[in-house]
Parts: sequence; structure tokens; C-alpha cells
Amino acid sequence: MADIEQLVESLAEDATRVAPAPHPFVLALKWIGAGAGYLVVALLVTGLRPDLAHALHNPLYVAELVALLLIFLATAFSAAVLAFPDLHQKQALAYAPLALFALFVLLMLAAWHADNPPAPLPVHSWQCTLSIILMSLLPGAWTFYAMRKYASTHTRWAGSIAVLSAFSVGALWLRLHEVNDSIHHVLLWHYLPMLAVGLLGLWLGKKLLKW
Amino acid sequence: MASLPRDELPVHPLIRSKREKSYMTEQTANLEVLMRQSLQGDKQAYAELLRETARLLRPYLSRRLSFDSEVDDVLQEILISIHKARHTYDGERPYKPWVYAIARFRLQDYLRKHYADQLHHATDIADLENILHDDVTETGISYESISGEVEKLLPEKQATILQLMHRDGYTAKETAEKLGMTESAVKVAAHRAYKVLREKLER
Repeated sequence: MADIEQLVESLAEDATRVAPAPHPFVLALKWIGAGAGYLVVALLVTGLRPDLAHALHNPLYVAELVALLLIFLATAFSAAVLAFPDLHQKQALAYAPLALFALFVLLMLAAWHADNPPAPLPVHSWQCTLSIILMSLLPGAWTFYAMRKYASTHTRWAGSIAVLSAFSVGALWLRLHEVNDSIHHVLLWHYLPMLAVGLLGLWLGKKLLKW
Repeated sequence: MASLPRDELPVHPLIRSKREKSYMTEQTANLEVLMRQSLQGDKQAYAELLRETARLLRPYLSRRLSFDSEVDDVLQEILISIHKARHTYDGERPYKPWVYAIARFRLQDYLRKHYADQLHHATDIADLENILHDDVTETGISYESISGEVEKLLPEKQATILQLMHRDGYTAKETAEKLGMTESAVKVAAHRAYKVLREKLER
């Protein structure tokens, strides 16, 4: 008890005026803005796929882009809420991306079913995974850096969501840049590696979001 | 009927529950006010807030930890964490869910480390088997002095094991080979035999 009293006194002595952290919605909008800016710059540098206008006539391709965009938005909001110890008392928002992941899986199943006869596979394969990883490194590092300023108590989930948020930017970029309609290729070299990296995020979160 | 003082009058449970509720709400509101003042740099309010928080969390921790020293350790870690994370509280939302989230996180952290340490220091069962053999023979009683009891009190197999190990000087491994048993089975049988002998001889 004496130790506690001593600690209380020393902490109180150390207390200065503290500016409260911004609201998680403000944080999320900031991260979304930065991610969107990065995506636009990346597309300006690397270019949009030349057949984009034609590809946009395919409803499944449009749905895939919209779903990726929604995942990016949801993971940004979720990551912002997860940066607070009490999830800013918005628990549902922290787990909202799960619903979108489920929707995305259904969409992929529908696209797989509709791919008949299968679209020709592109000549490249793992290069797509590598491109997404390289493109996602910067937003990923930035998200982790930003989250470390707060105090997450759900470090594993927060890490996974932060990684998926960054990778959704990379995945969006590649779908808008690469001329490819093969769902087999997209699943195997775009989204399955994303899932693996999401799992790696559980570990990364535990290591990097410790406080 | 003699009248009771106002404080001692029986209170209807519903009214008592309302009063308790209103006290709790007041207390929570106080914590929020104290936290808002703390964020403004009010050292006195901050010290009061930490004391109140410690008082609030102590029973929570006591129910989950075995020793008072552990409760104190975790409580200190929680108070330090509150200090580090106080910028994540804006003074607008309820204080208790925020503080309990930190408390739970630190408690889980402590328990995880505690059990990991226990696992790290756990003794392998194979090592125990080796120790077991040495300990139970450190009785100060020679085999010769109880050989009669060994044959009388123990089943044939256990008696044979003790004879081979203590009269003829075979190791557990050699005894196992001689009897076509595993070494562990020999050690377990010997251990049971020692136990039976100890119980019967101590009577």
C-alpha cells in the first residue's frame, strides 16, 4: 500500500497538461486521406490499365473494386478505434471489417463461378504479390507508426487490421494498374498472399504495438 | 411504537438500489471530472484520481490473483499504464470502461508472463522419475533389516524388483532388462512398493 501511495505521488508530480488524442474518426479520415493520396500518386506514376473503360463494364470487376475500397475504409476506421484502450467504446466498429471480409469472399466465389470459360492467365505470377507488398510497405509503416502513439489493448487484432488496411491500398492499385481478368490469378497471387500477410499482422501487432 | 432514527429506518430494497445506483453514478461522474482536471495539469486532482482508481481496481484484482503482493505489483503496472495512456481519454466518454480495459490488458499480460515462467521452471516428468528413486531410498533403513517384510507384505513382482535393486545392486535399467519391463515401469513399481512399506512399517 505504501508503494502504491509513493507511486501515486510520483506520477502526480509528473503530471502536466496533456492534449487529448484526436477522435478516432478524425484519425481514420486522416489515414484515409493519406492512403488515397498515395494511391493516386502511385497510379499517376505507374498508369491506369489501358482497358479500364472496357473492364468497368464487368459488374464483378466493379464490385471487386468497390469491396476493396470499402475494406480500405472499414479497416482504417477499425484501426483508429483499435488504437484506443477501450476501443473508444465503439466495439462494433473495431470488428466491422469482418463483415466486409465475408462479403469479399462471397464476391470472389461469385467471380470464380462466373469465370467460365476461364480468362487466360497472365504470363507473370509472383511478381504481383511482390508489387503489392512493395506498394503497401509505406502505408503499412505509416499506420503502425501512427498507432504506436496511442495505447492499443487489442494489439494482435490491431496489427492485423493495420496490415490489411495497407494491403488493401496495394491491392486496389494493382487491380487498377494491371491488365488482367483472370480470377484464378487474382485469387492466387493477390488475395491469398494478403490473407497470409493479415495473419502475419497478428504477430507484428503484438511486437510493434506493445506499450 | 418507538420511532427509529431516520438513518436506521428500514429501507425498501428498491429505494436502496436506487440510492446505491445514484451513489455509483455520482462516483463515476467524479472520476470523470477528476480525469478532466488531470488532463488540464491539476496534480492534486490527478493524485486523487489515481487513489480512487486504485481503490476501485483492488477488489477486481484480488478476485483474480492469489497473493496481495501480486495485486500490488499489477496495480502499480496499471497505474503506470494509465499515466502513459491518459492522452487517449478525452473526458467525454465514461471513465470506467477505459480504465477497466487497461486493467484487463495489464492483468492478462501479467498472467501470461506468470504462466510462461511457471512452464519454463516446470520439471520434466522424466527428471522426476530419477529423483524419485533417490529420495524414497533415503530412509536410513537397510534392505537386510526389512527383507522379511518385503517378501511378506509386497506382491511378488514388487518384492522381486526391490530384491534386485537393493539386495543384488542392479540399477533400475538393469532390473527392467532382467524382468522384461520398461525402466519407467520398474521405477513406478518400486515407488509403489516403498510407499506400501513405509505405511506398514510406520504403523
